[in-house]
Amino acid sequence: MLPQLLASGVIMGTVYGLVAVGLGLIWGVMDVINFAHGDFLMISMYSSFWVYTLFRVDPILSWPIETALIFALGYLTYKVIIKRVVDAPGLSALLATFGLSLILRNAAQFLWSADYRYLPDTVVADRRLLLGPVMIGLPQLVAAFGSILMTFAVFYFVRRTRMGRAIQATSMDKDAARLMGVDTERVYAFTFGLGGACVGFAGALLSTFFPVYPESGALYSTLAFVIVALGGFGNVKGALQAGIIIGLAEALGGFYLGTQFKYTVVFLIYLLVMQVRPKGLFGW
Amino acid sequence: MRRSVLALVVSFTLVGLMFIGNVALAQPVVKIGAIFPLTGASAATGVKLKYAVEVAEEIINGLHPDIDVPLARTSGLPKLSGARVQFVFADHQGNPEIAKSEAERLIQNEKVVALIGCYQSSATKPASAVAERYGVPFIAGSSSSAALTERGLKWFMRIAPNDDMETKFFFDYLKFLNQNYNAGIKRVGVVFIDNEYGVHAAEMVDKWIETYKKDGFELAARIKYPTTVSNVDTEVQRVKAARLDAIFHASYIADITQFVKGYRAYDVTPKAVLNYCGGFQDPKFLENLGRDANYFSGSNAIASSLFAKMEVAKRINDLYKPKAGVDIDGPTIEDFSSALVMADAINEAGSTDPARVLEVLKTKTFYAPYFVSGKVKFDDKGQNEYSASVMVQVLNGVYEAVWPVEFKTAEPVPAFPPWRSR
Repeated sequence: MLPQLLASGVIMGTVYGLVAVGLGLIWGVMDVINFAHGDFLMISMYSSFWVYTLFRVDPILSWPIETALIFALGYLTYKVIIKRVVDAPGLSALLATFGLSLILRNAAQFLWSADYRYLPDTVVADRRLLLGPVMIGLPQLVAAFGSILMTFAVFYFVRRTRMGRAIQATSMDKDAARLMGVDTERVYAFTFGLGGACVGFAGALLSTFFPVYPESGALYSTLAFVIVALGGFGNVKGALQAGIIIGLAEALGGFYLGTQFKYTVVFLIYLLVMQVRPKGLFGW
Repeated sequence: MRRSVLALVVSFTLVGLMFIGNVALAQPVVKIGAIFPLTGASAATGVKLKYAVEVAEEIINGLHPDIDVPLARTSGLPKLSGARVQFVFADHQGNPEIAKSEAERLIQNEKVVALIGCYQSSATKPASAVAERYGVPFIAGSSSSAALTERGLKWFMRIAPNDDMETKFFFDYLKFLNQNYNAGIKRVGVVFIDNEYGVHAAEMVDKWIETYKKDGFELAARIKYPTTVSNVDTEVQRVKAARLDAIFHASYIADITQFVKGYRAYDVTPKAVLNYCGGFQDPKFLENLGRDANYFSGSNAIASSLFAKMEVAKRINDLYKPKAGVDIDGPTIEDFSSALVMADAINEAGSTDPARVLEVLKTKTFYAPYFVSGKVKFDDKGQNEYSASVMVQVLNGVYEAVWPVEFKTAEPVPAFPPWRSR
């Protein structure tokens, strides 16, 4: 049973990690907690659902659409909402994203009803791999591999590209970056878009095995906060590692202590780490 | 000039007559509060319950001589001078605190004379406590926690069979399968959501297993899962490790759908899976799971396969389906019933005086031909004595009634075939 639990934990952890990468980038760079992050994930899942239902394009192929769509949603969110509150004192940005979350969630219910929807007969549906005693669903495995690839793509983008270095510079010291000629306004908008692209990609992969409904992203969003705090703000690799820790804690804690305690274990780990290392396990 | 004056007088007279006519036509309105989860995680079900109550309102206020239920053949409430009934909806979002405050708002601000709702037992509990404090009759349609009718409340009643009755029903059905189909079911487990509904269902299994041990049953697993769950892999692993012959599920639609997918993915093949009144009964269960939904069972107040035997249920479904897009199901028809029974009681009382309405609710046997029992009668604790359900099993994508034998529309399949051979 232990190998099975380890496999399940790592697989879900990588998806949690990717969701957290997007949140962590925004949090780390502009110090804004995006409460609508889970709702971006939900919009991506609906997009994946409708692209499949209307045009029969499998989520395994349609992920560029969802990724681009949620990138655009993130970019627009910055331009229309966050830009006005990013430097405002107090909780303005937090409340703005909280309001956006409510709007997106209720708009989804208004437009598509509250029904739970599944994508039937996708390329990976109902297929599984048997590796000795370990059974892994193909949709989950594809989601895990995709999440790892996307996380590393974001990591190398931030490390190797001109825009990536501008993101790092802005994250470290916005004013100094501006003095060095970095267009921090553009960096902020792009970072919000990039954060969205991460959940856009994750949403496409999740839609192959997770129900699509207006509250789809709610718990992922909560777990992402914990993972970002553990992994370190803006630390892409840290988010992936922390995601895997949380996935394992959920699987092992749930099995051995009782399934009702699985999130208790997750939040207990979070509280303990915060006491010992407030910057997170892998924080700078 | 004289013509103009005449035209003016005629115009004023016509407008006056129209106004007087409207005043004369205006009828009193009896407001009943209806609290459901219209947003949030259970909104998919809550919205369907709202549609069912709207159908009840339509039947009560309109003329429907072809539907054989109380108040259908008349318009409004005949003993209250044809007063119209208006259901005032409120959204508790699946949150007990909001259910409580909405009950308070409906009673104080909207001046409702009675309340129905709230689907989730955890929300019904505080809302009905508010109704008790104000002395307002409250009928829960589909809340099934046995504890709700064990609180000694005077103003609270419930249509649905409670978890206590359902659990006994489940064990009797398993005995039937063992005796008549040689099913060999011994190891029973309960998988339940961590809220009022799930926890009480599990407590009822703890209670009834003592009685049924002599029949060879043992309780081999109690698996509780959080109300907000992102994936149920861990829970499925625990079910698999317990090697259960039968699983009692107390789950809502999102959870039970994920569990079925998990059982398939991890090749969990119990002989029987029996679902309490909750997500299994929602026709979306069939739509989302396709052939994987086959062989799952549960208690249900109605099933589409019974429409051929129950004309009234079919007629109600004819009004409901265009709104909801799916056939009426067990919890939905129970909340339809709560609306109709409450209006029937107010009409019978000939008044909205709470004490008189309560007296009718406590003494009358209500005609309810849309249930297999055909009637509703509340006992001293407020529980419907006649809340007979049937056991339904999904066979070839249809909810078939399989037990008791007098209602059956198909033979039960006593054990799940292996997933790979489906």
